[in-house]
Amino acid sequence: MKFKYISTKLFTLGLACMVLSCDSYLDVNANPNNPEDAPLSGLMINSTYESAYNVYRVGDITSNYVQYIASPNPASSSDTMEPISNDVTWFRLYNVMTDLSVLIDKAEEEGAAHYQGAAQILMALNLATGVDIFGAIPFSESFNFETVTPKYDSDVELYASVMTYLNDGLNNLQGETTASIGADDFIYEGDVAKWISFGNMLKARYMIHLKEVQGYSANEVLTAVENGLQSNEDNAKVDFFEQSVNPWFNVARNNADLLLGGWISEQFIQALDGTSYNAIDPRLKLMVGTTDTEEFIGTENGAGRGNAPEQGARSTLIEGQYYTSETAPLLIATYSEQKFIEAEAAFTVDKARSYQAYLDGIVAHMEMLSVPQEEIDTYLTNPGVSMGEAAFSIDAIFKEKWIAMFLHPESWNDARRYDYQYKNMTLPVNLNTELNGQYIRRLPYTDNEISRNGQNIPSVTLLDRIFWDVE
Amino acid sequence: MKYITLLLFVLFSGYTSFGQTITGIVTDTNEAPLPGVTIIVGGTTKGATTDFDGNYSIMANTGDILQFSYIGMQTREITVGSNNSIDVTLQEDSEQLDEVIVTAFGISQEKKSLGYAAQNIDAEAITKTKQTNLVSALQGQVAGVQITNSGGAPGQSARIVIRGINSLDPSADNQPLFVVDGVPIDNSTIESGNNETARGLTNRAADINPADVESMSVLKGAAATALYGVRAANGAVIITTKRGKSGRVSINLNTSVGFEELNSLPALQDQYGQGFSGEYDPSSFWPSWGAPISEVALTVPDHKYQDNWNRAFNTGVQTDHSLSVSGGGENATFYGSFGRFDQKGIIPFSDWARTSAKFSGTVKVSEKFDFSGSINYTNSGGNRVPHDRFMERMMYWSETTDVRDYINPDGTMKTYGNTNPIYDARFSTFEDDVNRMIGNLNFNYSPTDWLTLSYRLGTDYYSDSRTAITPGPKGIDGEVPLSSTGSIEETRINSKDITSNFYITLKKQWNDDLNTTLRMGNDVFQRKFDRVIGRGVDFVIPDFYNLNATSQVFTNQDKTIRRLVGFYGDLMVNFKEYLFLNVTARNDISSTLPKDNNSFFYPSVNLGYVFSEHADLPSWFTFGKLRGSWAQVGKDTNPHVLGITYEAEDVFPLNGQVGFTRNSSFGDPELKPELTTSIEFGTQLSFFESRLDLDVTYYKSNAVDQIIPVPISDGTGFSEYITNAGEIQNSGIEIVLGGDIIKNDDFQWTATANVSMNNNEIKSIREGIDEIVVGSQFGYVGSSVTMKLVPGEAFGNLYGTSYQRAGADENSIFLDQDLPLVIGDDGFPVKNDDQLILGNAVPKWFGGLRNEFTYKNFELNVLVDFRAGLQQYNQFDNFLSAFGKPEYSLARNDFRVFEGVLEDGTPNTQQVWLGQGVGPDGRDYGAGYWRNAYRGVSENFVQDASYIKLRNISLAYNLGDKILDRIPFKSLRISLAANNILLYTPWDGFDPESFSAGAGGNAVGFTGLGFPGTQSYFLTFNFGL
Repeated sequence: MKFKYISTKLFTLGLACMVLSCDSYLDVNANPNNPEDAPLSGLMINSTYESAYNVYRVGDITSNYVQYIASPNPASSSDTMEPISNDVTWFRLYNVMTDLSVLIDKAEEEGAAHYQGAAQILMALNLATGVDIFGAIPFSESFNFETVTPKYDSDVELYASVMTYLNDGLNNLQGETTASIGADDFIYEGDVAKWISFGNMLKARYMIHLKEVQGYSANEVLTAVENGLQSNEDNAKVDFFEQSVNPWFNVARNNADLLLGGWISEQFIQALDGTSYNAIDPRLKLMVGTTDTEEFIGTENGAGRGNAPEQGARSTLIEGQYYTSETAPLLIATYSEQKFIEAEAAFTVDKARSYQAYLDGIVAHMEMLSVPQEEIDTYLTNPGVSMGEAAFSIDAIFKEKWIAMFLHPESWNDARRYDYQYKNMTLPVNLNTELNGQYIRRLPYTDNEISRNGQNIPSVTLLDRIFWDVE
Repeated sequence: MKYITLLLFVLFSGYTSFGQTITGIVTDTNEAPLPGVTIIVGGTTKGATTDFDGNYSIMANTGDILQFSYIGMQTREITVGSNNSIDVTLQEDSEQLDEVIVTAFGISQEKKSLGYAAQNIDAEAITKTKQTNLVSALQGQVAGVQITNSGGAPGQSARIVIRGINSLDPSADNQPLFVVDGVPIDNSTIESGNNETARGLTNRAADINPADVESMSVLKGAAATALYGVRAANGAVIITTKRGKSGRVSINLNTSVGFEELNSLPALQDQYGQGFSGEYDPSSFWPSWGAPISEVALTVPDHKYQDNWNRAFNTGVQTDHSLSVSGGGENATFYGSFGRFDQKGIIPFSDWARTSAKFSGTVKVSEKFDFSGSINYTNSGGNRVPHDRFMERMMYWSETTDVRDYINPDGTMKTYGNTNPIYDARFSTFEDDVNRMIGNLNFNYSPTDWLTLSYRLGTDYYSDSRTAITPGPKGIDGEVPLSSTGSIEETRINSKDITSNFYITLKKQWNDDLNTTLRMGNDVFQRKFDRVIGRGVDFVIPDFYNLNATSQVFTNQDKTIRRLVGFYGDLMVNFKEYLFLNVTARNDISSTLPKDNNSFFYPSVNLGYVFSEHADLPSWFTFGKLRGSWAQVGKDTNPHVLGITYEAEDVFPLNGQVGFTRNSSFGDPELKPELTTSIEFGTQLSFFESRLDLDVTYYKSNAVDQIIPVPISDGTGFSEYITNAGEIQNSGIEIVLGGDIIKNDDFQWTATANVSMNNNEIKSIREGIDEIVVGSQFGYVGSSVTMKLVPGEAFGNLYGTSYQRAGADENSIFLDQDLPLVIGDDGFPVKNDDQLILGNAVPKWFGGLRNEFTYKNFELNVLVDFRAGLQQYNQFDNFLSAFGKPEYSLARNDFRVFEGVLEDGTPNTQQVWLGQGVGPDGRDYGAGYWRNAYRGVSENFVQDASYIKLRNISLAYNLGDKILDRIPFKSLRISLAANNILLYTPWDGFDPESFSAGAGGNAVGFTGLGFPGTQSYFLTFNFGL
């Protein structure tokens, strides 16, 4: 009978297990979902994609602080500089740095120096991004799993590591490799020369941060700039995908569907529409939308939209513009940013070069946005813009860089170095009372870190500055 | 299916009979005939049973002793005299002491022989509670067993924990193993996936129709469960389903209808409406920081407080029908049932239904061989509304806009800006559809009277097909869609459990005094689980919901397999019926652990001493037993967690490229099994002919090498480290006291009380780890509350921010609320950002009291349960305070001098204003006290969550024989019941019992924005044919 057959069979099985061994029956624990090893290119794909995404993640936090964006709701914590726990951003920064650390080791083992070099450049990018917003963070005890509570390295030390990664990366990119980068590189599709220019551009970016710190050398910045990006063609960016749309597009689309977000700050509108400066910027209409009556009207940070309805009465990000189309790029580093770095570095050593770089920076950004030549020319002829070398001031650089770096987290680094001295920029309404009427200087450590690694976290407030943010 | 055919064949093959010498009728004390009574001629193998009418006939000689026995009745012995006709009346067996407990492998044991505590719940006690979920039916009934309903959603899970938390793993299933008719079943709760909000899903034990259950016994200590191995490390709930009884065929029909409603609401203000800074704004995001409603009403028509919190919820309706047919002959019995349960919940559009069918049978082929089997089919599921989001959106919804007026004629949402919770509940659907088949086969073969070979084969297969849809825009101008793109997520889960258990029983009666039973066996378990998720985003045609019609498709697959092989032995020694010794040993081998550590051995021993059968006791001392046990039990981990792996995130492929990232979870390659060692001492006493019963147990258990996924700093390169990370100790006392307070023919009053106390302590955690986060829940501006494990402290401690206290010990990790507040220069209390212990979420005490009154044909049952000595994080309150909704926020335009001291120790005298913006004193208070200060202090929201609940009250009437004679029913019972109608608690909010995590995890103590608790009323008819 069937049950006898089954019982005999299972009894035999049980007995066989007893007598022989259960090894093979029980050897089923290999993970069927995730492999135990990943190919270099798999790590490269994810690292380039996530590094670009991290620029958005941080930019999404800082764009309210530098007043590109304002919340449509009054007293929104994003505007009022309240402590918000950015657990996801923190995790994502470390997640990609973990992958990069694996990629660097693996590439070194395999002699794939170009993978190693590109990974080192991206490591420098993500590490510096973390230091610039949080200050001291874990790094020297990270990724090797010798402790579960890695110590915090000081921001000064970490900047040295950033430079080391950039220099090592450049060396590796210039050497021989056993494997070449290709379509697995979402940034440059394997163009090593562009990676080298990107590495130099980042050296310039992180050195200019140190302008007020001992050891800064303007000439070193200028050397890096010379080896850096040569045109907008070299911009480090990831073009987004139909399968994964640009996140700023998402913000614009949601807002169009009345899931409100991406409202433009009054400061930004007024800086470009001729209110704060007497030049009307041709880029404004290419960067943000208008009201139903085709006006540009911003929202005051911290004040909310007041009596304005949800739609049609304020400027917001809108779908389909340069920053906000479905497959728009997320910009990591641009030629125009580099020009403004050059302008700032040269300002004290070669003012003529500085002035020219400033004008070139404006043009580079306008060209990136495809501003018609005549509008570029008109803008450049405005005496408020082309004030001449003598009248040219550091303020002009910061103002134009702020516009050219729309939505980019680097603007918050600039704003803090510049002490938020942008013309007409004012503290948000309903400012976090703990800031005592001052601007925020760093992000708080995340709730996750506080609970998991609390002993090592330095005691800081939102007013404590990153080392390069000299009072 | 051959066995069913055989069963039916035997069933209808009639009865065997012996001679004609003695005949008679067997009845109960009410003179009702008893069918199926066993009659044996003492000292022989001759036997007979009574027929449908209680008649029997048996061949016997004068002087023979006839033994009449029947379940639930006292056995009678009658010596055959000269009369050939013997009528017998059997007395009901009220002697609770011979209570039979079904223990491991479905072995029935007399409770008096057990060396450990166990408690039995019968069918009546289960069905009276009117719980659809078997787990909830145990609430308040068993000492040491804590049941928590995770919320009031239809079909929502209930959590059961026996004697406290054993595994510290935040996601560990600390719930006992559920065993139905000797075969373990799956009781997991698979919550909605990563892309989804909380949906309040079902624990799979709820697929069992409570009406099919004959009894449940709860095996608490490790001693009781050593035989089930690792899966029963948290105890076991042994469920015995109804079987047919020899005798006439009986048919039972139960039908009931119930209604439910919200049982508790927080105290809310109804004075201020939409807007901010005291200004009215009909499109404001802010629901309640605006102008006084009465003031605005002067100029705005129909402006009023809408009482949305009462109006948003429906009256839930549930109906439950079940029909069973059972019967059998001498050698075969059968039981068949069909059940249908339907529930519509209090949140609009929430529902759940269960259809179940069961067939079981037993066949005695010969004196040497018998077998039984059962098959249970269940279809369950419903629409799971996004309850967390519902409550969150209620929070944001304007109190002056009617929440029920949610839809425009064109089908778009009617709103002033914020998302309407009811619209979301209606259109953001999540439906699950579970098809489940549980089957088991049992064979027993006894070639001789001292040897039995037994084999049990169990299967538990289910598929769970889930579809979640969030609609995108309809393409109508001005609409506010729920999502810009819309999405559909199709989830297909297949889970297959197979359990095989073979054992040999050897019985030996050494002499009159010594009796031994030895069991040895082998146990094999396998679970294969496969989940495939297809997620489509961005519908290309509005209102057409199919994966094929989305522009982005993401897929994800998760497969697991777990295998366990166990070998065990169990020796029972019975010495003179007063000394009972039980020794067990087991070795398990698990596929989930590293090969070098995957085999682990654990023994147990327990001893019961029934001194009342050994020593002379006064006659009022009916029964007395002492018992003690020592036991170990091992535990493995989840499959596929060891080592480093790489995963491709769902977003890939992009441009045909698949990226990989290192998995953030790292499983220690040297992982060892957990080991729990427990001791237990207890006594069971009975007085005055069992009118008064007392059972007291003390236990202590230590679980070492706890396998915990420790959340670690992302800075390490991982976010979670699965390792042997600690030791927890649980100890406690359980007391059960029962009494027949009044007992006469017309009126009986029986009361049973149980009280449990549990203490636990984290003895140690792994070197290098200072603390382990079990769970955390968001609170505004740094008021998030975290549950952490810290060595030397209790499990369940809640950490958060507090007010700074003058004179507080800087090294203390506890908040001392008796110290005065420190008031800052600005006149407001100073916040302390250090994470201090604000409370503990594990009740120190819990228990229940059941009273049963019977008067003639009326029965009244009252079940009260309580828990005390616990705090929870009231996230609702945190949100309410941020949005100006609680009653206490009425103090928004008051001046206040905060009681406390300044930094220098002098009392605070500064008067401050609590409102928003510039106050009457000319000072700018920004967003005001409630938003600036109050909502950011966790201390305000970690609150006493004790309660006393009238869990269940039911009144039943059984129709008397006189009426029954005139209608075609054998029995008819009508009952009225009510659940949770009274709740006493210091907690301000919804029912404090609801919590957000669901039954599957350990992160209790966080109420979240879960589905609020309910109260319900039922009318039930029970017909017997």
